[in-house]
Amino acid sequence: MKWFFYRRSIAFRLIAAVLAVEALFAVLLVVLSFGYERHTHFTAFGVMLHGRADTIMGAIQDSEDKEDTLIISKSDLRLPGEDIWQALDQDGTVLGRSANWVAPESDSRAKSRDGTLSVEINGRHYAVLEMHGTRFVDPDAPDGGKLHQVTVFYGAPTDRVWHAIRGGVEFYAAGSLLLLAITGPLIAWLLHRGLSPVRELANLAAQVSANSWQFSPPESARTTPELAPLTLAMENVLARLEKAFRQQRVFVSDAAHELKTAVAVIKSSLQVLTLRPRSNAEYEDGLERCLTDAERLEGLVGAMLTLARVESAEGAAAAPASCEIASRLDEVVLHLGPLAELRGVRLNFSEGAARGISVAMSGEDCFILLSNLVLNAVQHSSNGAVVDVIAETDEGGVSVSVRDRGEGVDAAALPHVFDRFFRGDPSRARSTGGAGLGLAISKAIVERAGGEVSLENNADHGATAVVWLPAVAGEREAAARERASAVS
Amino acid sequence: MRVLLVEDEVRLAENLCAALREGPGFAVDLAPDGQMGDELARSGCYDLVVLDLMLPKVDGLTVLRRLRARKDATPVLILTAMDGKASVIELLNAGADDYLPKPFDLGELIARAKALIRRGKGSAHPVLHALDIELNTLEQTVQRCGAAVELSPTEYRILEYMIHHPRKVVSQRELLEHLYDYNWEHHSNVIEAHVSNLRKRLQAAVPGGQPVIETMRGRGYRLADAARPVAERGA
Repeated sequence: MKWFFYRRSIAFRLIAAVLAVEALFAVLLVVLSFGYERHTHFTAFGVMLHGRADTIMGAIQDSEDKEDTLIISKSDLRLPGEDIWQALDQDGTVLGRSANWVAPESDSRAKSRDGTLSVEINGRHYAVLEMHGTRFVDPDAPDGGKLHQVTVFYGAPTDRVWHAIRGGVEFYAAGSLLLLAITGPLIAWLLHRGLSPVRELANLAAQVSANSWQFSPPESARTTPELAPLTLAMENVLARLEKAFRQQRVFVSDAAHELKTAVAVIKSSLQVLTLRPRSNAEYEDGLERCLTDAERLEGLVGAMLTLARVESAEGAAAAPASCEIASRLDEVVLHLGPLAELRGVRLNFSEGAARGISVAMSGEDCFILLSNLVLNAVQHSSNGAVVDVIAETDEGGVSVSVRDRGEGVDAAALPHVFDRFFRGDPSRARSTGGAGLGLAISKAIVERAGGEVSLENNADHGATAVVWLPAVAGEREAAARERASAVS
Repeated sequence: MRVLLVEDEVRLAENLCAALREGPGFAVDLAPDGQMGDELARSGCYDLVVLDLMLPKVDGLTVLRRLRARKDATPVLILTAMDGKASVIELLNAGADDYLPKPFDLGELIARAKALIRRGKGSAHPVLHALDIELNTLEQTVQRCGAAVELSPTEYRILEYMIHHPRKVVSQRELLEHLYDYNWEHHSNVIEAHVSNLRKRLQAAVPGGQPVIETMRGRGYRLADAARPVAERGA
């Protein structure tokens, strides 16, 4: 059945299904009508046989002669010539019979349900009724008269009945076929009309493109119960896609701006060198500057690629990795220690009960996330300040808070700190070399791991970044659980 | 010529300053954000504003609009990393005189800057003429009656400025403002010395020639009028 509906339209399937059901009903109707017709016609036939046999019986009642023998006068009988009959006395004397009576062969007799005998005579099927009756001749006679036990056999050919039955069945069959023939095109037409909202919706949906997101579904699609969820889903999908597209466009534009600026810096650095002949020391100095500029461009490209990797759908679908967060924090503190020392910032690290807890991200991502937050705090700290990095268990996960004692974030800028290419203080961020991607990358990493990240100003001064990440069963934990279950 | 550069990207600003100072010898003031750029531009002593569009605090377009709203006709060259014709049209409609998309060529930037300054002073050609003096702004050379005059960069700039303002009395203060950026501490007697040297050199090129620069006592200097000999007016 599957092959039949494969790549067929819904209209085709519906029409096929309706026609199949209708055909089934037609067959049922024909079968039932056959049964019904047979029943009614044979009932009528039986009544007729009885009536005609009664006629003969009546003729026997009427016949009388002096020798007390019963003779049926055929001239009084008006029976169809093709019927056969015979009347017998109790001693086998033939009281009368039709001209075409042929004694049926004994083995060809078979009694049917309604008490008639089915007999084949000269190639025609006959139903023969056997009727018993009595005739009391001369009841007033001195010897008390004579009682005759009379048996009448009356048969009529059944082919007429069958003919009538066939006529009835044929009528029903023809009617069903006609209905079937009308239904096909009618359903096709009705479906075509009924599916017009779908076509209308498809036409409108086909007009949506990356440049034109305008999608106003027709009223018919909105009010049709079957189409309303689809329409709503399409509207939502389009709205989400448009938003994503717009974000992507903004990102590309911002990225282009950053890249062009970085290239402009390198190009102008080189051109300044070529403005006039310079001393070797000046060239060396200029080349060093160019190298620094190139490194900044490298960092920018690296950050953009990291963000693209973290945000990409393929990355999210990759095998779920897990890493132990506390040991990553150790690494980050170790890694950023020298920089903090250089800037006169003290890193204060406490891990609480967080050791041993794993989160759903690769070790590399975890390192990027934590080092971004700590680096941010260090860069916003003045000489001699302390940055607290505190990890603790929290609501089925682990939270890491990084607290600096810098000048905090401008209230107007606070909602945007996780936006891509956003810089709280552009001139300073540029001088420190950030492209405004660190926190955006951190946020993308955290969200992919199902966690939350926020940045808030402290009551006194400085800001605190808080990351919460749900714990996952790390390799060690999973192994421990397996052992525990094996023991129990 | 004094140029205001409004650019937040530190390294790019450094390079642009160096190029504008070393190349055409402009005095360059740098504003690292839009707000400071707007405040500096209000002083009105600039011959050109080089403006980045994406700026902290106040964006470049707003700075430009405020400038034009003050009826300040200083030529403005926009640096932009944005794509699209729409933004270019918007910029030009807002009163920008020219624009350069990043990453640009420093040589092109300098050439456009010079052209904008020239046109801002009312002369489209790079070679300026006044009296019997021919001043080539591209080569930064001066000739008087066909004879080359060797000038120091500052002397050249004073002469260029005065030729750009032929009949105007130019005060020492104005010369200071247009020839030096705010990083320099200078006194008006520096200008006096430079003008004096300039006069000598111009006179040396054509012995017995007409004096080029008049001194208006207490008010400043003025380029001599070609129609009347100085001696007559002095009488």
